[in-house]
Amino acid sequence: MDKNFQEEQFRGMIKFTPPLSNQRYQFVKDLVEKYKPKKVADLGCADCKLLWMLKFCSCIELLVGLDICESVMKEKMHKLSPLPVDYLQPTERSLTVTLYHGSVAHEDPCMLGFDMVTCIELIEHLEESELKKFPEVVFGFMAPSIVVISTPNFEFNTLLPGLMLFRHPDHKFEWNRAQFQSWALETARHYNYLVEFTGVGRAPSGMENVGFCTQIGVFVRKYPQTSGFAQSEKSSETVYKMVFKAVYPSLKDEKYLQNTLVGEVISTAQIIKRCLLERLMSEHEECNHSTTERKAQLQPCFSKYISKLATEKSLESFVNGNVVYVPLKTIFSFPKVNQLCGTLERLRKLIAGQVTLSSDGYALMLSIEYENEEN
Amino acid sequence: MTGRARARARGRPPAQETTLPAVGAATAQRTLPSQLLLPQQPRAPPAVPEEPAGYGRRRHVQNVPQDQKEKRPKGLQISAGFQELSLADRGGRRRDFHDLGVNTRQTIEHVQESKTGTSGSVIKLVTNYFRLMSRPQWALYQYHVGYNPEMEARRLRSALLFQHEKLIGKTHAFDGSILFLPRKLNNKVTQVVSRTRNGDNVKITITLTNELPPSSPTCLQFYNIIFRRILKMLNLQQIGRNYYNPNDPITIPNHRLIVWPGFTSSILQYEENIMLCADVSYKVLRSETVLDFMYSLYCQVEEQRFRDACAKELIGLIVLTKYNNKTYRIDDIDWDGNPKCTFRKADGSEISFVDYYKRQYNQEITDLNQPVLISQPKRKASSLPGPVVLIPELCFLTGLTEKMRNDFNMMKDLSVHTRLPPEQRQREIGRLRDYIQNDENVQKELQDWGLNFDSSLLSFTGRVVQGEKIIQSGRVFDYNPQFADWSKETRGSPLICPKPLDNWLLVYTRRNYDTANTLVQNLFKVTPSMGIRMKKATMIEVDDRTEAYLRALQQSITPETNIAVCLLSSSRKDKYDAIKKYLCTDCPIPSQCVLARTLSKPQTAMAVATKIALQMNCKMGGELWTVEIPLKQVMIVGIDCYHDTLAGKQSIAGFVASMNQTMTRWFSRCAVQTRGQELVDGLKACLQTALREWFKWNKCLPSRVIVYRDGVGDGQLNTLVSYEVPQFLDCLKSVGKDYNPRLTVIVVKKRLNTRFFAQCGEALKNPPPGTVVDVEVTRPEWYDFFIVSQAVRNGCVSPTHYNVIYDTSKLKPDHIQRLTYKLCHMYYNWSGVIRVPAPCQYAHKLAFLIGQSIHKEPNLLLSDKLYYL
Repeated sequence: MDKNFQEEQFRGMIKFTPPLSNQRYQFVKDLVEKYKPKKVADLGCADCKLLWMLKFCSCIELLVGLDICESVMKEKMHKLSPLPVDYLQPTERSLTVTLYHGSVAHEDPCMLGFDMVTCIELIEHLEESELKKFPEVVFGFMAPSIVVISTPNFEFNTLLPGLMLFRHPDHKFEWNRAQFQSWALETARHYNYLVEFTGVGRAPSGMENVGFCTQIGVFVRKYPQTSGFAQSEKSSETVYKMVFKAVYPSLKDEKYLQNTLVGEVISTAQIIKRCLLERLMSEHEECNHSTTERKAQLQPCFSKYISKLATEKSLESFVNGNVVYVPLKTIFSFPKVNQLCGTLERLRKLIAGQVTLSSDGYALMLSIEYENEEN
Repeated sequence: MTGRARARARGRPPAQETTLPAVGAATAQRTLPSQLLLPQQPRAPPAVPEEPAGYGRRRHVQNVPQDQKEKRPKGLQISAGFQELSLADRGGRRRDFHDLGVNTRQTIEHVQESKTGTSGSVIKLVTNYFRLMSRPQWALYQYHVGYNPEMEARRLRSALLFQHEKLIGKTHAFDGSILFLPRKLNNKVTQVVSRTRNGDNVKITITLTNELPPSSPTCLQFYNIIFRRILKMLNLQQIGRNYYNPNDPITIPNHRLIVWPGFTSSILQYEENIMLCADVSYKVLRSETVLDFMYSLYCQVEEQRFRDACAKELIGLIVLTKYNNKTYRIDDIDWDGNPKCTFRKADGSEISFVDYYKRQYNQEITDLNQPVLISQPKRKASSLPGPVVLIPELCFLTGLTEKMRNDFNMMKDLSVHTRLPPEQRQREIGRLRDYIQNDENVQKELQDWGLNFDSSLLSFTGRVVQGEKIIQSGRVFDYNPQFADWSKETRGSPLICPKPLDNWLLVYTRRNYDTANTLVQNLFKVTPSMGIRMKKATMIEVDDRTEAYLRALQQSITPETNIAVCLLSSSRKDKYDAIKKYLCTDCPIPSQCVLARTLSKPQTAMAVATKIALQMNCKMGGELWTVEIPLKQVMIVGIDCYHDTLAGKQSIAGFVASMNQTMTRWFSRCAVQTRGQELVDGLKACLQTALREWFKWNKCLPSRVIVYRDGVGDGQLNTLVSYEVPQFLDCLKSVGKDYNPRLTVIVVKKRLNTRFFAQCGEALKNPPPGTVVDVEVTRPEWYDFFIVSQAVRNGCVSPTHYNVIYDTSKLKPDHIQRLTYKLCHMYYNWSGVIRVPAPCQYAHKLAFLIGQSIHKEPNLLLSDKLYYL
């Protein structure tokens, strides 16, 4: 199934910038930014382009794609895998992306409980029998808070020269605005939704009366989320086949939290150590030599921060022999560390065994040897 | 050996010059003037002819008779369309990394029958290769698929074709016009009719265009594509050319490093079999963005040095962006640019970087005053021509910076994880095999194509050639060949040619007064046994400033001065550079810089003094030791390149040539490549002067010239064969009518994925120094061999690959191998065997000194001494 290059053929007279398919996706993305859904499903996800765009939306925690054609999904599904950055800097949000192979005419419990379901350029590809079942599956069974449906506006076709009948050979129908709106209003009424109409792809000036190139209906559920109990009642057998699943690393997973925290703790301690040593060294140099080529310029924010902390005696870092002692409490007071673990107790628990602590468990120990490079 | 040079000393072809981009233009299309000046790279693939009846997409139908083996020299492209489809699968780069199709062996007469050596004892070896097994009579069938009426969209074309899945089968690879099948269809031309959903009939013609034997280049490319698919199915992450497992990272929080274990792999036709070469690879990632790095650098250097420091540390590094899975090399930093600059998107609209990244990837850019990074895409056919602009805040650093490489502690921490001893390495490589064998989907994919991999690593026999005896002033030294080191054995023995220290300078700062005196005393203790006559140094105390050092040198150096020794209190590069530059160009005398810190430990003071005495002796033209070299009248040449990433991006070739029979004296020159000039022109001039110099020393011309060429990058072999070698021949011809010496050109490669393990009963160990391999893992179209010359204390030893690309010497392979190994003993800065022949290492040292410190050709008065050690 293909919907994105259908407009390509009509390059002659009308050209959309950005391309119409992108405008449709951007429309969905804007809607996601507005409603902040946590669980989003894209029915007829084809090459997963929309899913790929949506995975960057930080509100989404579950992203599901469904398509009748497995090979099209598989072609670019790896673009939905986590990026190296997702491992390097895990975020607080958890995200799972799943692709299913299946039909929108069938009900599968994995599609329950969604906040938003999008059907971009989908319905015109459905056979009559499938189209008949479609409202019951999407609005009756899945029953998400928001449904977005887009489809070509037949009236616009007059502006697309060289078009035989429909924009794409696989289209079973193309509706004019009245047809789409009456179908949508009827569906909304039946399943207790509110629908609003809009579209993307404006006609050239003077011909606006044909409407948008793509017409869109945004459906918002009028009743609150059904309880989990009601949902489980609805659940039927699984009929979709899972094709792809990616679980993104998240700080909610203790393993990633621990790694990130240990990294942050040690690098914070290293900065404190460096500042401390530079201060000691510059004091030392001032005693011995008046001519120093090198500055003892501290990172301004840090030095101020540390001197402020140092006013509290118990938070002061100190050198003993070849070891710098940095109190955990000092490290904990840095915002990034603080944010990651929340309490000092939790900090202690998470870094236990990962770093060298003083015997009383009060301070982090760092060896000085590293700092010997004089560059 | 310094690690610093390693990364930069890699080859870059001259035509890949880069220019500065327009400010803020992400994809601004610009003509690159420098590229127009340069001759085209000969390895550019031939233009793909457009089929007359073609429908627009470029594609190539091969109407080659079935029995004729495909032997196109370059640009072995399956098809433009197929590459598009599988670009990511292929690693996203079109360069021919394996130098396929450069068939040099066929031009070398005396190795047509055999290219193997004979001497030495047999050793059982295991290597990191798996044989690719296919069904008997396996072939890949290539079809052309035509549509009538013509269908534009690739996906529609696929959909229509696969309505006939019964005919075609489930296993196929299709790019919209070329179809690969693991089995043959009944007819050479098959016509079928498909129906579009709106009832139109489309006639599809499937024509057999090629029956590819397993070893055909197209097939090899195809295997690699399939294998990359497999690695992806195993959920490994692709970074650059290799695949890594992000789920088991090794974290080194002390240095903010994260190491991902992974694999590097390639499938190629080797001597006897098609094999998968698989090695463990580690990707060093850093949980720090380029902006973080800049911030912390800002705190460490003075303001006015900040930009230079950034350039020095960052340029050449590979970064990984936050928003996609691509890596880029930093080629420049644009300090006038910032994230508020705009660029033109593909659709023509202007947008600022801040807005773009926010909208597209939900990435917040917080520092609006940061500069931007510039990366020049290597791939010409990239959809975005022109330089790529990157935002530091959105780029993660990967790999190690020069400073990190020099940080002994960090490298130690890292090597604990990455330097695997042989057995462990073999186990890790075995894991890849296990992944493949245990994954159902992968097994199915392989079975569908009728392919499989051998379950065990390839084992075969190699040879260990006889160890070399070290000859020093008539005395012959034996040493333990396992350690490949004779520093203990030869300590305190007279040198072949000691140079007196009658008149020498020692410049030091007041703080190092004691250190300087201790050094002199220690030198007095160690030099007599070496045979070095030494008088008291002229001691000069200076302020710790560069100008003070230079003034002292200027005032004190006389024509009689043997050498100037400078005791430096810190490893500040600018001071070192200034001293070296002055003493190599304006006032050419040998010089020795010593870090005070090196001399500070009393327990190593004598060893250090010994080493310094030897080094100084070499720099003044002395000779230390030799090995037996039976070949007469031969001039050995070593060439290596240094690519300067900073100063004007010039490349420098170091060139050294032996001047005597014992290979103890070397003449050197360098070629500094300026814009619009090929490096090889400079090399030609070097060779000419070297021959003249040889004549002066020997009163005749050499009857053989053997060139060891290092610094050749992957995919550059063809340039070398078709461009550089003819220039060498030209040069030899120009010397005189009757002069017709025999020429041998050997390409030396250190960066390999090939590993050898010696099988000792049940255990696997590193093969001993002197192990030669010229079977199984060599390439049939080359006259090539591997030598393991050095010994390593931990980890796996890596062999060096030698590829004889031109040879009229008629020397037996055995002799070339032995000579090569002998030359690995002749590097005077290390009393042991090294990884490459000494001339390569000398050339490397020379190019590195010029590239790092001097930036122009040193005075020729120094050219007969090893002043660059």
